[in-house]
Amino acid sequence: MDGRLSFNPTSLRQAASWPRWWLWAVVGMAFTLMWTIPFVPWWAGLGSGLCAVLTLMVLAFYARKQYEEKPLDGEDLMEGREAKQVLEQVDALMLPSNNIEQIPQVDEVLQSMAADNQRRRLEDLMRRWVDVAQRYSEAALVLRKEIYSVIKQTEQAANTIAGSFEAVINKATIQARQAMELLEGTQGAASDGVPQSLKDFIQVSDERLNKMADEVVRVADLSVNMVRELDGVQNRTQAIDGFLLDVEKLADQTSLLALNADIEAARVGEHGRGFSVVATEVRRLSKRSHEFSDRIRVHLKEVRTGLSKTYGDMRTLSAADMEHALKIKEDVISLTRSLEGKNREVAETVSRINEISKEIAQDVQNVVVSLQFQDITSQKLNSMLEPMDDLRRTLYHLMQETIGLDKNLLKNLPGNDHWLSRMRPDHKIEEQPEANPEEKPMKDTKQELPKIHEAGGNGPAIELF
Amino acid sequence: MATILTVDDTASMRQMISFTLNSVGHDVIQASDGKEALALLQGKKVDLVIADVNMPNMDGITLVKSLRALADFKFTPILMLTTESQESKRQQGKVAGATGWIVKPFNPEQLLTIVKKVLG
Repeated sequence: MDGRLSFNPTSLRQAASWPRWWLWAVVGMAFTLMWTIPFVPWWAGLGSGLCAVLTLMVLAFYARKQYEEKPLDGEDLMEGREAKQVLEQVDALMLPSNNIEQIPQVDEVLQSMAADNQRRRLEDLMRRWVDVAQRYSEAALVLRKEIYSVIKQTEQAANTIAGSFEAVINKATIQARQAMELLEGTQGAASDGVPQSLKDFIQVSDERLNKMADEVVRVADLSVNMVRELDGVQNRTQAIDGFLLDVEKLADQTSLLALNADIEAARVGEHGRGFSVVATEVRRLSKRSHEFSDRIRVHLKEVRTGLSKTYGDMRTLSAADMEHALKIKEDVISLTRSLEGKNREVAETVSRINEISKEIAQDVQNVVVSLQFQDITSQKLNSMLEPMDDLRRTLYHLMQETIGLDKNLLKNLPGNDHWLSRMRPDHKIEEQPEANPEEKPMKDTKQELPKIHEAGGNGPAIELF
Repeated sequence: MATILTVDDTASMRQMISFTLNSVGHDVIQASDGKEALALLQGKKVDLVIADVNMPNMDGITLVKSLRALADFKFTPILMLTTESQESKRQQGKVAGATGWIVKPFNPEQLLTIVKKVLG
């Protein structure tokens, strides 16, 4: 027991009443003065009063000295009402003491009270300690459940993300491969004259359309030549026309000559009759020559009309052919250029797709690296759980020991059986799924308190032994 | 291409390792702890084992020791892929017979390089 609690009740009495002495001293002095003034000179009365006051002051000083020589500790001092209660208890003990043979010692009573007080304080302390342990245990359980939940949720999220990215990279790879196949398909070479790619198709089409355009141009050239030839034929028909005029002139002269011969034959009479017959025949020949010439002219005219029409048609045809051929050629060239441009764009796009696919692959690699932090975080959180569980175990054992010391200690604590069972090291949270293959088991309780995993650590990231 | 066994208790890690190795044509088989790995390797040969250290049921170091005790896996390369980076742990792995030590997180390109190197 602490010595500070063994105080003297006399000093307590003094401590509680010594200020009253001053009051009584002043009252005494006043009465002394009032009583002596009518009988003795004022200075005698004052002197007596002062003597009385002095005496009382000496007594008060002595009382105070007694009080100060046995001071009470401030912490344990029972002040005011408490001190009064103690004094009343002492008085209560003292009053009936005249009628009781054995009077209990005041010190023993006070020691017993101090012991009770100490015990109550200890009980209170113990209750607070148990309350803290209980609250820690509850909080640790909740924290454990939350951490476990975080680990599972992040793991599920990481699995989903990893799966999604795997699908993304697979699709990107397929896309890149198909793009390359498309690129090879559009850029590949022809085999046996059959186009194997768009590029080859464009090339072959270009060649063949050019050939066709050249043929059309050649036909147009031939048409022009034919027109030119027809022009020559027409000129020749005009020459024939001139020749026919000459023939007609000859026929006219022959007819005139025949007429003269006929006249001369008539003049000579009978002797010229034979000559007249010849002249008639000559005239008839001349006439037939005219008729023949006319018929030739008619035919020649028809030929010329036909030639003229053909000439016009041929000119139109040759001009249209040339124009059409040139237009086709231009269109073919334009189409070819357009197709080549499109083909080039396709090649560039495919090439860009391929590049993007590579970039996606690189990004996914970065994702693969980042997603591993989920595993690292889970391990760190798990390693945080171990010290918590260890502390919970330690608390559980301490509580068991405490209860072993005093079975009644926790009697008043509500629901202590329940929470103590929850503090058991093998207690599991209701929501925590069991037999999960991904869950790491708690380590042996006897092992030393594990350290939280050191981030970064030491040594190289990759090492071959 | 090689057949590789990856042992890790985290599904996403196994998935990422498989994905990385599959991308270059390796065949990958998976186990979630040392015990399952040993059961998988009964009567089966693999060219490489990549194992985590901290795993339930049987940890990576014990797995390495168990594999080295088997005649078929005496010379099979075994890489440890773990978050542990302390020298003491590395030494434990080395003594147990591990071929190399890779600290998580791994870079896919580096993993492929090291795999190529140990496969010869």
